[in-house]
Parts: sequence; C-alpha cells; structure tokens
Amino acid sequence: MSQSLWEIKWNKFWVSFIEHGSYQKVLEGLQNTVIIAVAGLLTGIVLGTLIAIIKVVPGKNPVLTFLKKLCNLYVNYFRGTPMVVQLLLGYYVLFPLLGIRMSSLMVCVVIFGMNSAAYVSEIMRGGLLSVSSGQMEAGRALGLSYPSAMMRIVVPQAVKNILPTLGNEFITLIKETSIVSFVAATDLCQAFRDIGASNYEFMVPYLVMAIIYIVLVLIITYMVKILERRLRRSDH
Amino acid sequence: MITEGSALIKVDGLYKYFGENRVLRGISAEIDKGEVVVIIGPSGSGKSTFLRCLNLLEEPTYGEVWLEDKLVTPVDPYLHPDVIELSKTYQSLFSAAKAENPGKSDEALKDELIAKIKDEDLLNEKHEGRAYKALVKKIYAENYININLARQKIGMVFQQFNLFNNLKIIDNITLAPIKLRGMSKAEAEEKAKTLLERVGLADKADSYPSQLSGGQKQRAAIVRALAMDPDVMLFDEPTSALDPEMVGEVLEVMKELAESGMTMVCVTHEMGFAREVGTRVIFIDEGVIQEESAPDEFFTNPKNPRLRDFLSKVL
Ligand SMILES: Nc1ncnc2c1ncn2[C@@H]1O[C@H](COP(=O)(O)OP(=O)(O)O)[C@@H](O)[C@H]1O
Ligand SMILES: [Mg+2]
Repeated sequence: MSQSLWEIKWNKFWVSFIEHGSYQKVLEGLQNTVIIAVAGLLTGIVLGTLIAIIKVVPGKNPVLTFLKKLCNLYVNYFRGTPMVVQLLLGYYVLFPLLGIRMSSLMVCVVIFGMNSAAYVSEIMRGGLLSVSSGQMEAGRALGLSYPSAMMRIVVPQAVKNILPTLGNEFITLIKETSIVSFVAATDLCQAFRDIGASNYEFMVPYLVMAIIYIVLVLIITYMVKILERRLRRSDH
Repeated sequence: MITEGSALIKVDGLYKYFGENRVLRGISAEIDKGEVVVIIGPSGSGKSTFLRCLNLLEEPTYGEVWLEDKLVTPVDPYLHPDVIELSKTYQSLFSAAKAENPGKSDEALKDELIAKIKDEDLLNEKHEGRAYKALVKKIYAENYININLARQKIGMVFQQFNLFNNLKIIDNITLAPIKLRGMSKAEAEEKAKTLLERVGLADKADSYPSQLSGGQKQRAAIVRALAMDPDVMLFDEPTSALDPEMVGEVLEVMKELAESGMTMVCVTHEMGFAREVGTRVIFIDEGVIQEESAPDEFFTNPKNPRLRDFLSKVL
C-alpha cells in the first residue's frame, strides 16, 4: 500500500476523530468498557467468593445442601452458555419480566458481574482448597468461628494464590465487553465501529482500537504483577 | 446423674468411626489440673484423633467430653440411663420382656435392657419420641458450653505448626486475643512480646512464618496458643516434623511450661520427655487405652504385652 493511501486513510480518521469530535465517543466507550469490566470483576469477586465458600463448607444440613445445588446450577448456567446469550436474555427477557428498569450500561454491569461470579467462584474454590486445612483448623482451635477463620486466614491466602488467574479473568472481561453493543450500550468497540461507519473508512479505526485494547491489557497485567509482588512479602 | 468431678477434662466412652474404620473404641479418661499427661502409641492408633476429639476438631461418634463441668460434645444418650428409659425402643422392649418374664423384677429387667440397648446400639434418635428428645435437650441446655468458647480454654499445638502464613508472627499471636478476648491491639502486642521473649523469639515478631526455622515456628505456635491463657494445652507430636537439632529447643519450652503449672496433654514419641516431665503416661493402641500409669511404673514395669513390644521398639 502506498504512502499516500495511508495518509488519506489516516486523515479521514483524524478528521472524524478530532474535528467531528468522535474522540468523545471513544472516551465514553473506554469509560464504559472499564466500568463494566471493573464493576463486573468486583461483583464477581464478592459473589464468586460467597459461592466458593458455600461449595467448600463441610456439612450435610439440608439448607446447605440446597444452597450447594443452587450454586452448582448457577455456575453451570453461566459457564455453559455464551455471554451474549446471557446479556440478551437479561436485557430483553429477565429484567423486563421482573419489571426492573435499568440503563443498558447497568444491565451490562449486572450480567457481567453474574457471569464473572461463576468463573471467579471456580477459581476461588481452587484457591480455597489450595490452602492447607491446617490453617482453618488452627484458627478454629483458637476459638475463631468458621466465618472469622475463613475471612481472616483462608481467603487472604487463597486470593494471593489465585491473583494471576483473577488478573486473567479481568482481561477476559475487558475483551468480552465488545459484545455489549448487542444491548445498545457503547463500549470501545462500538465507538470505533461508529467512527468507521461515519465515513466508510474502517482500517485505521480498527487498528487504533486494537492498539488501545492491547495497551489496556498490558496495563492490567502490569498492575497484577505489582500487586502479586506486594502480596508475596509473606513468602520470602 | 451428671458428674461434677474435679477433673479439668473428662472423657466418657469416646468412640470415633471414620466410615468402617473404627479408630477410637471406648476411651474414658480424666485429666486433672496441673497434670502433664503424655500419650504414646504406634502410628495410626488414634492418638491424634483422640486429641482432636477433645476440642471437637473431630466430632466423636459416641461419647462425651467435659471441660470442668461443661459439656463440649453433644449429649450421648447411651451415657444417660434415664434418657434410654424414656426411649420408645426401651419401652417396647420392656413391655415385650415383661410379658415374657412376668417373674423378673422391673429393676433386673431394666438393667438388662439398658445394657442390651447400649451393646447393640439400638437407639434411633429420630424415632424415640418426645419425652426422650426433651430430656436430651434439657441435659444439653443445662450443661453445654459454646464450642468456640471451650476452644478458647483449650490451646492446641500441631505437628505441622499451622502458623497463619498470611500474618506476621506478632499478628498470628494477637489475632485471637484481640478478636475473642476484646483486648486492645497494644495490650495484646505487649503480651505477645513478653511471651515471645520467654521462648527466645523477641526478634521475630515482625517476621512472617516462612522466614522462621521449624523450631522457631513451633515455639511461635506455642506462644500463639498461650496468648489466649488456656486452661489446658494439647500437643500433637510437636517435635515430629522438626530436624533433630531443633527438637531440644521445643521440648525445653514445653518443659518450662509444665514447670509453670500448665495442664498439658502431649502426644509424643519423645520418651525422655515423657519420663522426665510427664506425671502420667497413657498407651493407646487399636483405639483403646491399653495401659496408663506414672512414668516410673510405666517404663520400668509395663504390664500390657503390646506396650512391652512397643517400648522394646522405641527405647
Ligand atoms: N479425617 C479422617 N478421615 C478418615 N480417616 C481418618 C481421619 N483422620 C484419621 N483417620 C484415620 O484414623 C486412624 C488413626 O489416625 P490418627 O488418630 O491420626 O493416628 P495417630 O495419631 O495415632 O497416628 C488412621 O487409620 C487414619 O487413617
Ligand atoms: Mg498423629
């Protein structure tokens, strides 16, 4: 491809991006992408930890057994169906049926959170099981309740063990946000699609989009590394 | 009916089954204040399981554990004849037996049936009727101690130390006192530091467990348990995971603890410690106490052939 053709494409993009103000749309998309992924991950961690704990609590009382079954069902549904399907079902079926009115962004946050909870719960369960049972026993032997020992001793160690995997989950969520346009929410991907469509010039916008995604992922990877290093203080 | 002896810990008819594996098969024992009871026995004989039943890390299949005059375990109906008498099982057996042996006295029948019900494990909690359930509930309500409260009074030291890997030594020690005893952080830390000094670990307060040697870890674990001011300390082979050169430093701490008057129950293979520090030695094999006596008698004049065999191997 000749130099001049690139220039023409670049100029077209630039005009749209700066002069027509579509950078604002990109910023909005970037913001939404980050909001959905961050809020989704946080929801996922809280809900996923809860599910994981329910799954590993020993005991056979009927309420617990029922909760365990419910959790299995939940995890199987969210891991066994495509996220697009979950998003569409939530936006067009579930929430309307329940009479819940939410912005499409909010719907995305909720569905991403619920989806992430299913994955995080499995990651967390592995993490909890990786902590030696002696840790819980020592806590209980001192008189700590099960929840106290869990939250003060076992969960922190589990989180440290699964941090790299949680980082991957975050990256997956960032990447998955590209499907939110199915329910009319603007994310990074949708923003660039709109720029391309505005002057039928897709090459540069999509190239820039890919670069932004890569940079995002690199930033997250770096942050997870730093966090890991800080948490690793306890195993010199 | 409910015994209120002077024993600090009283174990009554303790059985523990893991599925088909009958690990403890009827252990009764009393541990008095100030005693240092050493438990020895072959590997797999149920020593750890026994110790873990005392603070309910394992729930006994049958039997009761009492801490002073408080019930730590659930009520075992087989230990309460008046409970058995109220059961539907007993009552239907009684009327049948009565019809069969009209001549026999009620008292004689009663003793016979209670023994039979115990032997054959005939009670079925779910079908013994309201009066039975009510009495079990009453006994429990009048005597039970919340398990977390009981555990605060029973310190435990594990073979694998089990220090909390995510916490500094000082936080390992202060976590429970702050959370459960309502101590202020400053108060708890001061106490922890005094205790650490006593075991020669004053400089390790801000280290993480992974930075300590095995012997140091175990001494810190002992301090962690002591920080709760327990009435009794349980030791489950505290030196078995240590390199030989570190065994001495841990035994030394345990010896000092014993001299300070702490009540201790120690599972160990350190026969020297048993002899020197123990006030009583118990030999457990195949899930029952085969022999128990004062250390001198125990080691110089063992009666049980299994014990003799065991001692000939380890001494
Ligand atoms: N949690 C458990 N589940 C199943 N079996 C167990 C469990 N704990 C101990 N056992 C079994 O109980 C027996 C006695 O174990 P233990 O009390 O650890 O013996 P010891 O401490 O004397 O070596 C062993 O056969 C062991 O396999
Ligand atoms: Mg053992």
